[in-house]
Amino acid sequence: MPFAGGFNVSMSEPVPLNKPAQSILYLEGVSVSFDGFKALNSLNLIIRRGEMRAIIGPNGAGKTTMMDIVTGKTRPDTGRVLFGEDTNLTHLDEAEIANLGIGRKFQKPTVFESLTVFENLYLALKSGRRIRETLFARMRGEQQARIESYLETIRLTERRDDLGGDLSHGQKQWLEIGMLLAQEPELMLLDEPVAGMSDAETEQTAILLEEISRDHSLVVVEHDMEFVRDLDCVVSVLHEGSVIAEGSMDVVQADPRVIEVYLGR
Amino acid sequence: MSVTNNADASRMRTVFFSILFVLLSLLAFSFPAHAQQNDAALNAALSDLNARSFKAKTAAVQALGVYGDARAVAALEALSEGRLYGRKSDKSVVIAERDGKIYRLTDPATGVSAGEATSRELKKIIANNKLRGLIRGVLGQLALSSSDSELRRAAVENVISSPTGGSLALLKSARDRETEDDIRARLETGIATLELGSDDPALRRAAVDRLADGNDPEIKSLLERRLLKNADGSFVESDAQVRAEVQEAVSRINDRLALFGLAEDLIFGISLGSVLLLAAIGLAVTFGVMGVINMAHGEMIMLGAYTTFVVQEVFRVTMPAEAFGFYLLAAIPAAFLVAATFGILIERGCIRFLYGRPLETLLATWGVSLILQQMVRSLFGANNREVANPDWISGAISIGGGVSVTVSRVYIVIFCLVVVAALAAFIRYSRFGLQMRAVTQNRGMASAMGIRTGQVDALTFALGSGIAGVAGVALSQISNVSPNLGQNFIVDSFMVVVFGGVGSLWGTIVGAFGLGIVNKFLEPVSGAILGKVVVLVIIILFIQKRPRGLFALKGRAAEG
Amino acid sequence: MGPISRRLFALESRSGWIAIAILLVIGLFIVPALNLMVPEGSLFHISTFWVATLGKYLCFAILALALDLIWGYAGILSLGHGAFFGLGGYAMGMYMMRQIGDRSVYGNPDLPDFMVFLNWDSLPWYWWGFDQFWFAALMVVLVPGLLAFVFGWLAFRSRITGVYFSIISQAMVFAIMLAFFRNETGFGGNNGLTDFKDILGFNLSQDSTKVGLYVVTTIALLLVYMICRAVVSSKLGRLLIAVRDAESRVRFLGYSVTNAKLFVFTLSAVLAGVAGALYVPQVGIINPGEFTPAKSIEMAIWVAVGGRGTLFGAIVGAFTINGARTYLTGVAPEVWLFFLGALFILVTLVMPQGLVGVYRSIRSGELKDAIRRRIQRVDV
Repeated sequence: MPFAGGFNVSMSEPVPLNKPAQSILYLEGVSVSFDGFKALNSLNLIIRRGEMRAIIGPNGAGKTTMMDIVTGKTRPDTGRVLFGEDTNLTHLDEAEIANLGIGRKFQKPTVFESLTVFENLYLALKSGRRIRETLFARMRGEQQARIESYLETIRLTERRDDLGGDLSHGQKQWLEIGMLLAQEPELMLLDEPVAGMSDAETEQTAILLEEISRDHSLVVVEHDMEFVRDLDCVVSVLHEGSVIAEGSMDVVQADPRVIEVYLGR
Repeated sequence: MSVTNNADASRMRTVFFSILFVLLSLLAFSFPAHAQQNDAALNAALSDLNARSFKAKTAAVQALGVYGDARAVAALEALSEGRLYGRKSDKSVVIAERDGKIYRLTDPATGVSAGEATSRELKKIIANNKLRGLIRGVLGQLALSSSDSELRRAAVENVISSPTGGSLALLKSARDRETEDDIRARLETGIATLELGSDDPALRRAAVDRLADGNDPEIKSLLERRLLKNADGSFVESDAQVRAEVQEAVSRINDRLALFGLAEDLIFGISLGSVLLLAAIGLAVTFGVMGVINMAHGEMIMLGAYTTFVVQEVFRVTMPAEAFGFYLLAAIPAAFLVAATFGILIERGCIRFLYGRPLETLLATWGVSLILQQMVRSLFGANNREVANPDWISGAISIGGGVSVTVSRVYIVIFCLVVVAALAAFIRYSRFGLQMRAVTQNRGMASAMGIRTGQVDALTFALGSGIAGVAGVALSQISNVSPNLGQNFIVDSFMVVVFGGVGSLWGTIVGAFGLGIVNKFLEPVSGAILGKVVVLVIIILFIQKRPRGLFALKGRAAEG
Repeated sequence: MGPISRRLFALESRSGWIAIAILLVIGLFIVPALNLMVPEGSLFHISTFWVATLGKYLCFAILALALDLIWGYAGILSLGHGAFFGLGGYAMGMYMMRQIGDRSVYGNPDLPDFMVFLNWDSLPWYWWGFDQFWFAALMVVLVPGLLAFVFGWLAFRSRITGVYFSIISQAMVFAIMLAFFRNETGFGGNNGLTDFKDILGFNLSQDSTKVGLYVVTTIALLLVYMICRAVVSSKLGRLLIAVRDAESRVRFLGYSVTNAKLFVFTLSAVLAGVAGALYVPQVGIINPGEFTPAKSIEMAIWVAVGGRGTLFGAIVGAFTINGARTYLTGVAPEVWLFFLGALFILVTLVMPQGLVGVYRSIRSGELKDAIRRRIQRVDV
C-alpha cells in the first residue's frame, strides 16, 4: 500500500480503496456542495493511528468543510467517513462524535469567556456527559490534579482563575488546545492553531503540538508554511475540495500542481 | 304554488304588495313629468273602478297597468284587499280605513285625506278572485317594466322569491322585453323555477336543464326538494327520468358551489395575505436585511395609521368636499415620512449601540414600542379614531357571479403589490440599495470602500420603518385605528418573516400569501381563532424541518 | 479545595446565609405579625392588602428566578413564560372553581357557572380530577412542564436559538392566549376563572388565609431559590453558562446541548407554573390576559433590571419593577408605560448587568483591576 512506505503519492487519481488496518480516520469519496458550490469533491483522506498530519491549501480549498464533515457539523452528500476500525461518522451528531474520541479546535479560538480557565478545563475533562451526571457531579482530587497538569502543559497555571474572555488571543488558542487534551480524544483536529499568534507563541505552540502528538493522532490545518515545516510531518494539499498532493513538505513544495495552485494565479 | 297553504299565501301577498308599493313610490318620484302627463287617463281609469260590471272594472285595472304609478298601486292594493269604496255623494273613488264608527277617507289619486264618512255614505267596490289575480299581475308588471334597471332587478327577485299563479306569464313577458343580460338571466332562472312545478314533464325537464347552469344555493335546495318523497311515499318528482336529471343537476351545482367556495377562500386568503405582507414587508427590511429585531415595528404601522387620521382631519378642514376623497393619497408620503423619521430617531438613539446583541435590541425596541403607544394614547386618546373610506374605495364588487369582495380589499392587494415591487426595485436598482446590500454582506469591506455604514444603517432602518408607516395607511382602511393597532400585527408579521426565511424578500411574499391562504382555508374547518392557533402551531412545526424558513440561505454564509 | 472548587460547591457564603436568614425572618414572622397582631390604627400595622400585594410580588420573584435560570444562565430568552405561569394558575384556578360547588350564582353543584351559561350539560374530560387538590397540584407542575418539554424539544432539537427562539416562544404564548379567549375551549373564555370561595377548606376572603398564602409563597420562594442555586452552582450550571457563551464548543466537547437546554427550560417552566398556582388564589382571578405577549416580555425586564445571571438580581428586579408599577399606576397611570418603556431602553443600553451589577461595581470600586472581571463574571 502506498501509505505504508513512501509519502510521495499523488492523490489526484482515484485511490485504491482498501482501508489500511491501523487507520484512525478514513474518508472515501466525500462530496458536499452548498447552493451548487462544491466545497468537497470526492475527497479521499486516510490518517493512520498515531500520525500527525498537516493539511494545507488555499482559501476555499475545503479544509474547514472537511473538519465539519468529520465532526458531524455538516453531513456529506456522498461518501464514507470512518473512525477507527468501522465506526461510521456520517449519521452521528457533534456530541456523539466528540464522545467517540474526536476533538476539534476551531479556526477562531472558542473558549467559554465567562468561565475561568480552570472551569473551562473542568467542563472539558473526560467524565460523565449526561445531564443528570453534571447536575450531581462532585470534583474529585484526582480530577483536580489532572486539570492542574493540563494547565501546566498549556502554560496557563498562572491564569487559572482568570476568565476565559480575559486571555490574550494566543492564550485562548492554548486554552482551547488544553480543553482538547482534557477530553482525552484519540484524534485531534486543529484548525489554524497558530493564527494570530506572535512568533514566540507560534514556536511554543509547535513544541506543544509535538508533545501532544506523542500520544495522539493529530490533523492540523494551517496557512503558516514555516509552522507546518516545523511540524515535520506528512502534508496533504487540498485544492477545490480534493487532495492534489501528499508527502513531506519538501516533496509537496516541489509538486508542479501545488506550485500552480499557490502561485499560478 | 302548490306547496304553500292559504295563510302563507296571503301573508306573502301582503309582503309582496308592500314591497311593490315602496318600489313604485320610488318610481313615481323618479318620473314626476311622466306621471303628470297621464293624470287625466289615470283619473278616468280610477273612477272606472267604480263601474258596476266586472268587465269594466277589468278594463280599468288594465288601464291602470298602462298608466299606473304609485297612486294606481294604492288603489289597486285597496281594491284587492276590499278597502276601496265609492262615495255615494259624488261617485268618487276613495280608500277608506275604518276608525270606530266612521271611516277615514283618502283620495287614491293624490294620497291626501278626503274627510270622513259613515258606512251609509259609502259603497264597497267588490273584487272577485279573477280581478285580484289580474291586479297582482298588473302590480308585478308595473315594477317589472320599470325603466330603472335597479327597480326591475328588485322586482324580479321579489317575484321569484314569492311567486303566485300569474307570475310565470309575468316573468315570461318581462323576459321578452328585458334588455339587460343579468336581469334576463335572473328572469330565466325564475321562469325555470316556476316551470319546475308545471304538470308537463317535458317542461320540467327543460327547466331542470336550465337551472343546472346556476350556482345559487337556493336553486340547489329547490331541486333537492324535487328529490324528496311525499308523505304517501311517492316522489315529489313523479317522472323517473326527470328525477335522474334533477340528481345530475344537483351534483353539477354542488361541484360549481365547491369551486366557488374554493375561489372565495382563495380570494379572501390573498386578501389576508396582502394585509400580512403589508404588515411584514417593513420587517423584512429591518429584520431580514439588517438583522435587527424591531419590536416597535407594529408601532411604525400604528404611526402611519394615525398620520392618515391627521391628514384626513386636515383635508376635512382645509379642502373642498370634492377633494376630501384624495386625502388617502396625500397620507401615503406623509405616513412614510413620519414613520421614517421615528425610525431614524430609534436607530440613532438606541439600536446602533446594540448591533450584534439581538436579544438586547429586542428588549430595547420593545421599550420604544411601549413609549410610542403611550405617546399616541396621550395625544389622541385611548379610543378608536375614525378613518373614513373615501368613496372611490367603498362598496363591493362581485367576481364571477359568486364571490363578493369589498373594493377596499382589492385596493389593498394592489397597493401591497405596488409597495413590494417598488421596494424590490429600489433595493435592486438604486445606488442606496446597492450600498445597503454591500453593508449587510460585508460591513468592513463596505466601510473600507468609503460607504458610510452608519448612515446606511440609519437610512435602511428608516426605509423599513417608512414602509411600515405606508402599510399603516392601508391598514387604517380595514382596521381600527387605536394605540394598540401595532400590537395586533407584531406576532403575525414576525411569523411571516420567519416562515418565509429571514433575508429573503421573495420568502416574505410567499410566506405572507401562504399563511394568509392557509389561514382562510382552515377557518371553515376550525373557526377563525382556532384557525390562527393551528397556523401558529404549523409554523412552529414547520421550523423544525426548515429552521431558517422557506427560502433560506444555505452553507457557511448562513452560519455567521 | 482550591478557591474555584469552593465557588463551585459551597452553596452559599456565610454573609449570604445571614442575608437570607434576615429576609426570612422579616418575610415569615415580622410581616405576618405586623398584620395580625398589631392593631389596625397603629403606624406599624401592615394592611392585608399589602400582605396580599407582597405575596403577589413573591410570586413574580419566583417567576423571575425561573426566567433568569434560562436567560441569565443558559442564554435562552423565552418570551413565552407567561404561558407556563398562566397554565399553572389555571390548574390551581380549576381546583378552586370546583371547590365553589353549589355556592355559585347558578347554584349548579356539578358545573362551574360559565359552563351553565354556555348550556353545557357535563364537565369536559380535561376538568376531571380537579376537585382533588393533589391532582390540581400535580397538574400545576405537569402541564407547564410537559408543554415546555414538547416545545423545547421541538425548538432545541432543530437548534432554534437566540431571537428565533424568542419569537417562536412569543408565538406559542400568543396561540395559547387566542385559544383561551374562546368560550368553547372550556376555561371560562374572556372572563377566565374567578369568584373562588376557598382553598383546602380555608375561606379565601379571610385575612388569616391571605396571610397564610403569603407565608406559603415566601417558603416557596426560598425553596425555588435553593433549587436554582443548586442548579447554577453545579457542574450543570457551568455547562449552561458554557452553552450561552459558545454553544457549538459545548457540542464538540461531547455534551448534548439539546438535553441541557431541555432540562433547564422544563425546570424553569415548572417553577413558573408553581408561581402561577400561588398567584391565582392571592389575586382571586385568572384570565387569558396572563397570556398576552406583552406580559411575557415584561418579565424579561424584571430580570434585566435586577441583573441577569444572578439569582438575587432576579428577585430584586421583580420586587423593584412591580413595586414601581403599584406606585406609579396609583399616582400617575399615564406615566407608567413611559417609565417601563424607558427602563427597557436604559437597562439594555447603560446597565446591562442590572442593579446587582451597579451595586457590585460600586462596592468593588477600589479594586480597580477586578472591576471589569467581576462585572463580567456570572456570579451566583
